[in-house]
Amino acid sequence: MPLLRMREASFRLAGWSVAPVTLDVSSGELAARTFASGREAAVVALMAAGIAKASSGCVLIGDYDPRVQSVACKRLAGFVPHEPVSLDERDFGAYVAYRAALWNLDARVAFACATELRATLGDMHEAFAFPLVGALIASPELIVLDRPVPAYAERILRVAEGRAVFSTHTSVAAARAFRRSDALRATQA
Amino acid sequence: MTFRALTALVAARLYEQRRLVVYACAAAFVAGLLQPREAAGPIMFCSFLAILMALAQSPGSYPHLDRCEQSAPLFGRELARAKALVPCIAAALATLAYAAAAFVGGAPDALRTLTMALAAVIVTTLIALSATLRVGSSRALYVLLAALAGAIAYALAVVAHSLLAELGFCTLASFFALRQYGEALARYDPI
Repeated sequence: MPLLRMREASFRLAGWSVAPVTLDVSSGELAARTFASGREAAVVALMAAGIAKASSGCVLIGDYDPRVQSVACKRLAGFVPHEPVSLDERDFGAYVAYRAALWNLDARVAFACATELRATLGDMHEAFAFPLVGALIASPELIVLDRPVPAYAERILRVAEGRAVFSTHTSVAAARAFRRSDALRATQA
Repeated sequence: MTFRALTALVAARLYEQRRLVVYACAAAFVAGLLQPREAAGPIMFCSFLAILMALAQSPGSYPHLDRCEQSAPLFGRELARAKALVPCIAAALATLAYAAAAFVGGAPDALRTLTMALAAVIVTTLIALSATLRVGSSRALYVLLAALAGAIAYALAVVAHSLLAELGFCTLASFFALRQYGEALARYDPI
């Protein structure tokens, strides 16, 4: 059964709209989609994470409808925004504690998990690493990435191992980077 | 929503807005030193600060906090209550700074004035919060409504000499304003 199901899901706002999207993402699967604009890619990512509600069509995250059970959807899906966070390494502990409190996680376990993830991500810039680590400490089954940096594709997919990953992009090359990493992982395995 | 999540959310927002809070408290303190004897001063001035504090919670001001809060498994009403606490605390601190300055200046009935001002400031903040989720004329309307609530609170407390009526009005209006903000936040699409 797909973890994320989008059927003709579109979003309309004051004369502007996102073209209907239909896709399925199953557990452990990687899916990357390319969109015409950054705004469109952002809106689809927000809909896939249960943050924005589709104006028409249907979005189901693990059988939950974000329009009715948004809290259940947000427990299943972790969202990583496109915008880098304006924090530095000194803020790591406070940031993890903040995320752990919002998701009601054990602070010590969350910090240990976050430290391990941060080490795995290596020299990935903290502005991009923190939101990813923050999303992963809650152990979501689905990770939604809004226009992730293609250069970090391999590292992102390494830490998201075993989880379903849906990413939105504005260029075919960026989307391919994530698929290529998948192929690379398959070869290594 | 757990108490831990509530305190984390409030603390994170207050920390991000610490400079704004300090400036507001300093401005209130100076205003309190200059005009400690009039009830209009604390109510009107602190209500103005409260509106500014509420508008500072507008989406986009602190994007990484907005995204964390929006993606956290929290209900809109829970999030509204936590977010409403932030400008209420900041505005209450500014009011206390005003009252402290007025007390130092030897104002009579400092405690009564503080009670009047605090009640007005809370209702003004909660009404102005609804403006943060709107744009254009409806945003302006909520700001005007917040200012009107402050004026009504003043009229009841000072012109009609009824602190009880002011407290009653502020409690009732605050309740409906918080409900309205919660409903708006639950329906809000962050796009």
